[in-house]
Amino acid sequence: MKPATFEYHAPTSAEEAVGLLADLDDAKALAGGQSLVPMLALRLAVFENLVDLRRVDELRGIETRDGSVWIGAGTTQATIGRSESIGLNVPLLARATPLIGHLQIRSRGTIGGSIAHADASAEYPAVALALDVELDALSPRGRRTIPAAEFFTGTWSTELEEDELLTGITFPVWQGRAGFAVEEFARRHGDFAMAGACVAVGVGADGRIDRCAISLFGLGPCARRATEVETELIGTSPADSDADEIGRTAMAGLDSVPTDLHGSASYRKRVGAAMVARAWRRALQEAVGD
Amino acid sequence: MSGSQQATDTDRYAGRRVKRVEDARLLTGRGTFVDDVVRPGMLHVNFVRSPIARARITGIDISEALALDGVYAVLTAADINPYVHEQWFSLEGRHAPDTPRPPLAEGEVRHVGDPVAMIIAQDRYVAEDAAELVIVDYDPLPPVVDYATAFDSSELVHEAYPGNLVGQIGGRPMADLAPTFDNAPHVVSETYHQQAYCAMPMETRGIVTEWSPSDGTMTIWTATQSPHEVRGFCARLLAIPEHSVRVVMRDTGGGFGQKVLPLREDMCLMIAATKVPAPLKWIEDRQEHLLAAGQARHEHGEARMAFDDDGRILAATIDHVQDAGAYPSPNPVGSGIAVGLIFPGPYRIPEGTFNSRFAFSNTSGRVAYRGPWQFESVARECLLDVAARQIGIDPVELRRKNMLRRDELPTANCNGMPYSDITPLETFEQALEILDYDAFRREQEQARAAGRYIGVGTCTYVEPTAGASALYGTEGATIRVEPSGKVNVYVAGGSCGNSLETTVIQLTADALGVDIADVSSIQGDTAVTPFGGGTGGSRSGPMTAGAVNQTATELRGRILALAAHLLGGVPVDEVEFTRGVASVKGSPEKQVTLAEIADTAYFKSGSLPAELSVGLEVSGRFRAQHLMLWANATHVCTCEVDIVTGEVKLLRYIVSEDCGPMINPNVVEGQIFGGTVQGIGGALYEELAYDDAGNPVTTTFMDYLLPTAAEVPTIELGHVETPSIGPGGYKGVGEGGAIGAPPAVINAVADALAPFGVRISRLPLTPATIVNLLEEAAQRGAAGAAAAAGAARTAVAG
Repeated sequence: MKPATFEYHAPTSAEEAVGLLADLDDAKALAGGQSLVPMLALRLAVFENLVDLRRVDELRGIETRDGSVWIGAGTTQATIGRSESIGLNVPLLARATPLIGHLQIRSRGTIGGSIAHADASAEYPAVALALDVELDALSPRGRRTIPAAEFFTGTWSTELEEDELLTGITFPVWQGRAGFAVEEFARRHGDFAMAGACVAVGVGADGRIDRCAISLFGLGPCARRATEVETELIGTSPADSDADEIGRTAMAGLDSVPTDLHGSASYRKRVGAAMVARAWRRALQEAVGD
Repeated sequence: MSGSQQATDTDRYAGRRVKRVEDARLLTGRGTFVDDVVRPGMLHVNFVRSPIARARITGIDISEALALDGVYAVLTAADINPYVHEQWFSLEGRHAPDTPRPPLAEGEVRHVGDPVAMIIAQDRYVAEDAAELVIVDYDPLPPVVDYATAFDSSELVHEAYPGNLVGQIGGRPMADLAPTFDNAPHVVSETYHQQAYCAMPMETRGIVTEWSPSDGTMTIWTATQSPHEVRGFCARLLAIPEHSVRVVMRDTGGGFGQKVLPLREDMCLMIAATKVPAPLKWIEDRQEHLLAAGQARHEHGEARMAFDDDGRILAATIDHVQDAGAYPSPNPVGSGIAVGLIFPGPYRIPEGTFNSRFAFSNTSGRVAYRGPWQFESVARECLLDVAARQIGIDPVELRRKNMLRRDELPTANCNGMPYSDITPLETFEQALEILDYDAFRREQEQARAAGRYIGVGTCTYVEPTAGASALYGTEGATIRVEPSGKVNVYVAGGSCGNSLETTVIQLTADALGVDIADVSSIQGDTAVTPFGGGTGGSRSGPMTAGAVNQTATELRGRILALAAHLLGGVPVDEVEFTRGVASVKGSPEKQVTLAEIADTAYFKSGSLPAELSVGLEVSGRFRAQHLMLWANATHVCTCEVDIVTGEVKLLRYIVSEDCGPMINPNVVEGQIFGGTVQGIGGALYEELAYDDAGNPVTTTFMDYLLPTAAEVPTIELGHVETPSIGPGGYKGVGEGGAIGAPPAVINAVADALAPFGVRISRLPLTPATIVNLLEEAAQRGAAGAAAAAGAARTAVAG
């Protein structure tokens, strides 16, 4: 369990980092290393060049902007977990954070690393998808902003080019009566989820659901939205919603649900339905509550 | 008289929560584990391992690996295996029937992870690079993956073992019991299948071997439970004198049975060290550990019990099959017999028998694991709960009816095991009282009415400890009062976290009558410590106490004689000696300290009468007086099962145990906590799993799941202290936690799910497994209802 030889680079600016990623052969960005380093140690991944982002200060920070919160991609999960501003303005992100691994892992793991790695079972990609975040990317060709809905493209794959770096994530702040919940089922505390769901729901002045996002993780090649159920729920009365039915509907038609030692696809869907239902109940209660 | 005896008792260190002397170095990161050993010019070993469960090796090309910068040697079976002179374990003896165990795979690989070649390189990184360059041509053969069907397989793991049968062993014929079972009002049976799981010490295996060609001596640093076993094994392996081998272990980060014996990689390092002009180090990484450090617990058995109308057990049998893997260490038959022998457990069972068979398979070899016979408790205790439900009696009542009482002891169980000094019923009642069993049943009723499923499970077991086998039947100690009056006690060692240093110091301070701060212990170095069996078989407490007490008694006699002389020639029986100070009874003002006594013994020998011994050093060897010492315990567990996800959440966990008087309650409790968590892991989380082609699928801690602090509730303890017939009344306590936990957890889950008619027969109880059980029970229920409806219709029609 020792990695193969690699060249180590430690740029101090994002421009420099993407320059290295573009110029070097077989280069990979290293953020918190909580996924990449074990893969290197097991030689499941081998790269000639690693571009460490730890010295790139501009990638870190949490800024409250007009109607949104910007988080630098290099901000650690532990920092996010401690942030009062995030607890207040992006409750779903705050609630998902303690579910990531353990404190030691969160102290190194970054939000950008988690989203760019795009593990199917990870919490942050699902949060990003549910909240329709905007992802800032930088490459030698310039900056662009990618909507979350277009970012995740498959198993461990994203819209990012090989020489493109995720630099920041902009989370919209939901106004009005809203509720947020994340539920996941993992074999042990801190394990990757076998199935999980994020729910964000808003209730309008007329008392009807006017915003609704349900994202799923651990239930496909990457995080995904339960778009059909969301559409059905808009305009309905919270009192009429049947959480168990919503859970079942969210699972209907899901393809490519993984099967492994810990559970079959059908088991995951059973648990996924329960996670959606539980998250829905909690989020809705918060939205309609006092 | 009784007053002074009491005063002495409260002065004793044994029985107190003395702080561990190991902790200062371990908690500050100053322990010395094998990987901390660095020798001048040392090279690093990495093994090329088979990626295939079974294949013929048709060629090995090492040229590219050998050409890599930093690689010194690449050795294959032809370079290593011919140099095995003798290969047997002191634990088993020279003439014990043994199973094949070549250092490197020769001709055929027999499991994924089978070592095929060893790389010797400047560091582990290069050694791993080189391993990727060794080209092994494999001609795949059909593997025998499932041991349960191995007897019927036409493929053989080892040519010399027809039907893949390692061996079998049993009691009287099962047919003898037929009349009892045929006529019994209730017969209950179930076949339980336990998954493979294994010891997962925080420190993996590891060894450093250093050969000195000039004088033909070998020095070995290794993670072991028994340095003297390693020494003898190496001497025989290489055909060099035993005194030419020195084995040193300082700290070993967990053994659990896995490090009782040197294994195949250790042999490779021992032999290779004599072939290359450098010390060699191999530190097993976690992936290797999960591939090749051995498996345990993989077995199944049909357990049967017959009951009379009142729920009294009439007979009990078990027909048991165990997976030996490809290269078990040792031959599993000798220890496997314990499953059948102890199957009757702490119950009054008039007759019974057992049969055990052992099968080779193309998987990692079986090794010892904390309570290797633990399946007896799984099968018995789970079956008792099934019986209770079938007969319609509370499982606690069923056990009370059948459990042995103090006034029935000593006794022998129906398979001949001689029980004495056990308190199963006392621990059972104590644990249930800690829980408040009746209150739990009321809570359970309310919970079920509210759609929540909680359950309680128990396990009561008896356990042979400090077994007096050939290697384990004696233990030595050397105690030396140094010229300054400080004391060193030398014992064989093999402590792997079980606090032998602290325990020995407590025992020695008590036995000699000195201050504990003046005692230190030297262990784990075969060059300076007395020969001993090491840690294993829950023997360290009683056997070390025997060795220390016997040795200290003689040394104390010498101290008293010298003190009597120094106190003016008073009779020895008028000398009192406590906390390192001697005085004459009734005249406490006249004192002589141990430092003064030692000073006289070493430096003023000319002033001493001839009949007094000079120096203060004694070696003694204790011989076990009994075949084994019985310990016992009851585990009680409560849990809640989420019937949607199948998740099991443990609510309370209680252990009431009787290991005799406790030398150090902290140490005893640490042993119980650790073992219990391993047992919880076995019931719910851990599985060393293989796919149908024999590929291990749990090769990292992402998939091999160990319970963590988050999964384990506070373990509540009760103690019953009944002295054994052994030294100090002590009994072993190392293994029991791992025996008692799985059945208690399984029974709690089964109890929680009883309303659904779930029957548990396969482990571990993963969430997905529990959901399957619920779905199967629902189908059975539906089918049963349909059949009943059909029968009703037929009745109406008729």
